[in-house]
Amino acid sequence: MNFKMDMRTLDHGLPIIDLEGEVDVYTAPQLKQQVISVLESGAKELIVDLTKVDYLDSTALGVLIGGLKRMREADGNVTLVCPSPRIKRVFEITGLDKIFDIYNTQEDAQEAIGKENI
Amino acid sequence: MPNSVCPTCVELTIPCVPEFVGVARLAILGVASRMKFSYDEVEDVRLAVGEACTTSVEWAQRNAKENSTITLRSEIDSKKLTVDIFDNAGARNTDSAGADAEQEPENLGALLITLLVDEVSVEATDGGTHVRMVKYAGQR
Repeated sequence: MNFKMDMRTLDHGLPIIDLEGEVDVYTAPQLKQQVISVLESGAKELIVDLTKVDYLDSTALGVLIGGLKRMREADGNVTLVCPSPRIKRVFEITGLDKIFDIYNTQEDAQEAIGKENI
Repeated sequence: MPNSVCPTCVELTIPCVPEFVGVARLAILGVASRMKFSYDEVEDVRLAVGEACTTSVEWAQRNAKENSTITLRSEIDSKKLTVDIFDNAGARNTDSAGADAEQEPENLGALLITLLVDEVSVEATDGGTHVRMVKYAGQR
């Protein structure tokens, strides 16, 4: 199965999860664990980068929605980076593009988060 | 056994577990690519089949049906692709499942299937579920 996940934290403490490949019922539990560990660390913001994702199903959406709910309960947010029209379409047809903040690049996402926190 | 009744059918049986859902997706990707579908339509079919198989896997886990299988059967003709997905993952007793957060992906999966294919039907079978989906060529 083609799936990779990297977790990193920027200098100012913003966590970013980079995903690659297929995020589905088999691989989404790994993402869920990672999101939970970010939540438990007390972070208020999280960027999930889907730039290199070529397949994403409802299980992955469920993990992202769960993370978003818990982050927003703590006045935080989950921001997505998703330049791929194919993956973006999954969010659009389910209406989730109106719930998530989705940007084409990490720079745009970081800038938006920075502005919100001023 | 070769399928002598349906010369344009492809049939595949996989274990009803998460790691094999990708195999079903790959198979249907190959079949759908033989149709006069756009790139997006092929992707729609791949995602819809993936969602149907994922739902089967989730019910197999919920019903503790460890040795259950999913059989995917597709039939192509000049106008449409019909995909039948049979599982023996036990009954889908939604009353006992409860409306908790864990159910959300499943509901999203059902929504996605409805949005991605032109026709979908779900019926309970003896010991499992049969999902039929139809995608017509040239609908966009």
